[in-house]
Amino acid sequence: MATNGNLISVQNLKMYYNRGAIKALDDVSIDIHQGDVMVVIGPSGSGKSTFLRSLNLLETPTEGHIFFDGVDITARKVDLNLHRQKMGMVFQHFNLFPHMTILDNMTLAPMKVKKIPQAQAEQKALELLDRVGLKDRAGAYPIQLSGGQKQRVAIVRALAMEPEVMLFDEPTSALDPEMVGEVLDVMKELAHMGMTMVVVTHEMGFAREVGNRVLFMDEGKILEEGAPDQIFNHPKNPRLQDFLSKVL
Amino acid sequence: MSQIIQVKNFSKMLPYIQLFEQGVVVTVLLSLCTVVIGFLLALLLTGMRMSNLRPFRFLAVDRNGRLRDRGFLRSLSRFNPLSFLATAYVEILRSTPVIVQIAVIYYGVFSLIKLPSFRFFGFIKFDRFFPGVVAMGMNSGAYLCEIIRSGIQSIDGGQTEAARSLGLTQGQNFRYIILPQAIKNILPAIANEFVVIIKESAVTYTIGVQDIMAAVNSIRSATFSLLEPLLVATAIYFCLCFPTSKLIAYFERRMRRGDKR
Repeated sequence: MATNGNLISVQNLKMYYNRGAIKALDDVSIDIHQGDVMVVIGPSGSGKSTFLRSLNLLETPTEGHIFFDGVDITARKVDLNLHRQKMGMVFQHFNLFPHMTILDNMTLAPMKVKKIPQAQAEQKALELLDRVGLKDRAGAYPIQLSGGQKQRVAIVRALAMEPEVMLFDEPTSALDPEMVGEVLDVMKELAHMGMTMVVVTHEMGFAREVGNRVLFMDEGKILEEGAPDQIFNHPKNPRLQDFLSKVL
Repeated sequence: MSQIIQVKNFSKMLPYIQLFEQGVVVTVLLSLCTVVIGFLLALLLTGMRMSNLRPFRFLAVDRNGRLRDRGFLRSLSRFNPLSFLATAYVEILRSTPVIVQIAVIYYGVFSLIKLPSFRFFGFIKFDRFFPGVVAMGMNSGAYLCEIIRSGIQSIDGGQTEAARSLGLTQGQNFRYIILPQAIKNILPAIANEFVVIIKESAVTYTIGVQDIMAAVNSIRSATFSLLEPLLVATAIYFCLCFPTSKLIAYFERRMRRGDKR
């Protein structure tokens, strides 16, 4: 299939609501390569979250195709759970499981989905927690953690499934300003380790510093795409210029 | 028959006090059986309502492979017969009086099915008790189904999204993520339903279940006094329900404290 070795290939993705009156995604096509750190920016309501969520089909597109590892995951016969295992996702509101300890949060999916033995899953979870400095909180419940700690747990929970790509849906938007840094640091480290990432964010500093590609979306369309330097220093699209003048 | 409460009328009741004792046993036993049957039925109904069985799913896509976004065929593609049946059941049972349902079950259904007539515990007539439990269970199943459903819907959608994004199947998500959180939320409501059933079970005397209310009627015909046995029945019902609901409230408070670990 026409994926040309790309990790993810999005082709003519359309997402309509209310019988086409609202076009959340309007003919979006983009290739994501191995090792890309793709940052998606744009005003609220521009479809960037919808775009990200449709990548692992949390939203079902009206039309179009998404090829992941060469497989069309929008096809109806595809085992979606198999592909979701390879796509980690981090949410704005963390979505940790409140009735489980941090350790149980992290070992549930590896044990139930990948059938990894408990001891092995726990060892791996503790290693990951150690990397984000939260090993001593393994027995705590999510409600006992600060927002920044919760989001770091959410990131390593997704990493415990050893995904090929990580999707971040405004991971720092619900955090107190003082906690944004600790989460961005984890994401930076992840990027330097070569993880393929798609990040929807309002953190322009992160986009500039860590991203290797930046997408600007508005009204469900990709209006401009390029390297951070090009997007931030030499924007061509007038809407992007207007957007940057407001946020920078 | 005097309508004024007289002490000597209370003393006249004394020889029949055993009827009240038996009535309490019947009422409590009936309510317990009802809650258990009702809960199992409610789980089944909830499962049906949340099932994803859509036999006409293939109609969702038109000849060009596009999702239909309007019209009869789109509605048909979303039709779930299991969910429809369960919803119809719940709505019918919730929109008709219990006393009518009990009469229909007893004089309708159980006139066709012959039950063995024996007594257990020495005084409970099985062929009256069992239809009463079935009718009450069917009724409370409908209400408990709504309780369970609201408990499940009260769980933030982000929980399901997180679980599914980790690769958990729909069933695993329900079992490990949604149900444990939902059960904790609805336990007080289920216990309250038990109190409601204790009170509602009074109508089963209309089909001859020997509960507290039936004891009132027996004593009335034996002693020709009505108000006094009624007062006793009121006191018994209160003593059953009030402490139970206070106990539930206590556990509810304790569980909520657990949330703020």
